[in-house]
Amino acid sequence: MKYAGLVWRNLGRNKLRSTFTAGAIALAVLLVCLLLTMPNGLDALIRDATNNTRLSVHHKAGLVYSMPASFTRKVRALDGVAAAVGQVWFGGAFEEDGKVTFPNFATEAEHFGAVYPDWPISEAELADFQRYRDGAIVGRQTAERYGWKIGQRVTLRSTVWPVSADIRIVGIINESRIPSLYIRKEYLDEALKAATGNGLGVVGVIWVRVESPELAGPVMAQIDEMSRNSEAESASETEKSFMSNFFGSLQGLARIILLVTGLVTLCIVFIAANTASMSVRERAAEIATMKAMGFGRRVLFGTLLAETVLLSAVAGGLGVSLAFGLTRALQTFARWSDGLGPLGNFYLTREVVLQGLGLSLAIGVIAGLVPALSASRKPVVEALREVF
Amino acid sequence: MHALEDVSLTVDEGRFVALMGPSGSGKSTLLNLVSGIDRPTEGTVEVAGQSLGELDDDELADWRARHVGLVFQFFNLIPVLSALENVALPLLLTELDRSERRRRAETALRIVGLEHRLDHDPGTLSGGEQQRVAIARAIVTDPDLIVADEPTGDLDARNAEATLALLRELKRGFGKTVVMVTHDPRALRFVDEAFHLDKGLLLEGEEAERAAEALRIAAGGAAAASVPRSAG
Repeated sequence: MKYAGLVWRNLGRNKLRSTFTAGAIALAVLLVCLLLTMPNGLDALIRDATNNTRLSVHHKAGLVYSMPASFTRKVRALDGVAAAVGQVWFGGAFEEDGKVTFPNFATEAEHFGAVYPDWPISEAELADFQRYRDGAIVGRQTAERYGWKIGQRVTLRSTVWPVSADIRIVGIINESRIPSLYIRKEYLDEALKAATGNGLGVVGVIWVRVESPELAGPVMAQIDEMSRNSEAESASETEKSFMSNFFGSLQGLARIILLVTGLVTLCIVFIAANTASMSVRERAAEIATMKAMGFGRRVLFGTLLAETVLLSAVAGGLGVSLAFGLTRALQTFARWSDGLGPLGNFYLTREVVLQGLGLSLAIGVIAGLVPALSASRKPVVEALREVF
Repeated sequence: MHALEDVSLTVDEGRFVALMGPSGSGKSTLLNLVSGIDRPTEGTVEVAGQSLGELDDDELADWRARHVGLVFQFFNLIPVLSALENVALPLLLTELDRSERRRRAETALRIVGLEHRLDHDPGTLSGGEQQRVAIARAIVTDPDLIVADEPTGDLDARNAEATLALLRELKRGFGKTVVMVTHDPRALRFVDEAFHLDKGLLLEGEEAERAAEALRIAAGGAAAASVPRSAG
């Protein structure tokens, strides 16, 4: 500790340079901390958005393949199944956009509420959805985006089926994270018969609600067993698993960003090492004098290394504080503004704080190691000869 | 080729001696050997009963910290530390606590007449004052030996004389042994003894007399009148 004053004074020798170096390290730590919150944030997002009694049943070959609509009825009849609803991707493009800008499906209105009892939608609106053949319910996110109100008519042109849907908004799912719109499957079926002579007859995904979480495994096994060796073998999974797979691509993106950030951090290490080398080189005469006075290799190595470690630690603390402040601000603003969406789920855990601080210390040690080692190991007479 | 060849000399405790000679004569090398900064390829160096050749690098650094005070031509003060902190710097290598380090540094600065400049940065001090701070730094650990490498080389005449007088006072008042490398003929008025080197050899007899005479001529005037006869 008695060398702390000397270390601190040396850091203040070139304030601008120290500030820039600390700023670069702080920025790297901030980036890494924010990125490290992503996996936890996605987990929280999936945890909040899923239900452990809901299952997804789709074609084993993938979501683009369909299953017979009759399979929904068979699933619904199984023991342990509280409700099941068959859905199909409508792929409707809002006329003003001309392309699909939000997910939209055709669903069975009479079973929808029983499968999603946890979704905030009023019973009256659900009843209207069942009553009106052209009724549609929509998530608040999309309704607010387009300014849609209950009773408003909207036309969606399907990019999958050769039909358009002239629908009426009869309900709003009062949850900002849900962007989806649902029309009635009967409506699509009739529109297809009118347009092509053939009805729908298929479902893309069957959403199943089981009576209790422990029944999820046995029911999934039963469903898949039931479709074995059929033309449309099914693959069942929990809603959480379904969403995790869906967000898997985002986690891959996070890994790529993390890799890039790692490379940026490596660049910061080189910058910090260069700064440390310059600092040591500029003070060659002073270091030689200190050696001559009797400052040994360990003391010199320790004090020189401490300079970069201290600078990095201060910068790391700043970076972590900024990351903490930023995530807290996002959480706060997310409560006020739905536009921030899932960003409100990103929070700094103790592990991420420790990882950020650890990273900053590692930067300090790696950056300071070579300059400190070379300066401290140089024989005193050689050091004096070089500078005097 | 050796920087020093067959040099053998003894400096008694409490003496103020000068090592003189032209550039390349080997006087700085000899000073480095005496202060434990360098090691001889052959022969021995013994200071206050300690044979320096027996010590490894770390032990030698520790020995220097405890027994040697160094004064350099260009002062070599640390610009980000105050005069007091510069003087207290070698005391970081001791077990003394912060208040004791400060007390000793203040005492050392008082000895060199700079008690009113404690908190000044080196950049705000004159060359003479900086050299006095450097001398205070050299004596703050109460070393047995003070070595000074061209301590007047970067000073004007008045400050050079003041510095030489201060080094002499350290010998007289505190019993320190002072070994100084210098080109400055004025130094002969202050030292007890001067050793002359040339091309790595210690001059003796008539050669030493001729070197001293040359210095007396170089010094000239009033300074020459007080130049003592040099030892060979």
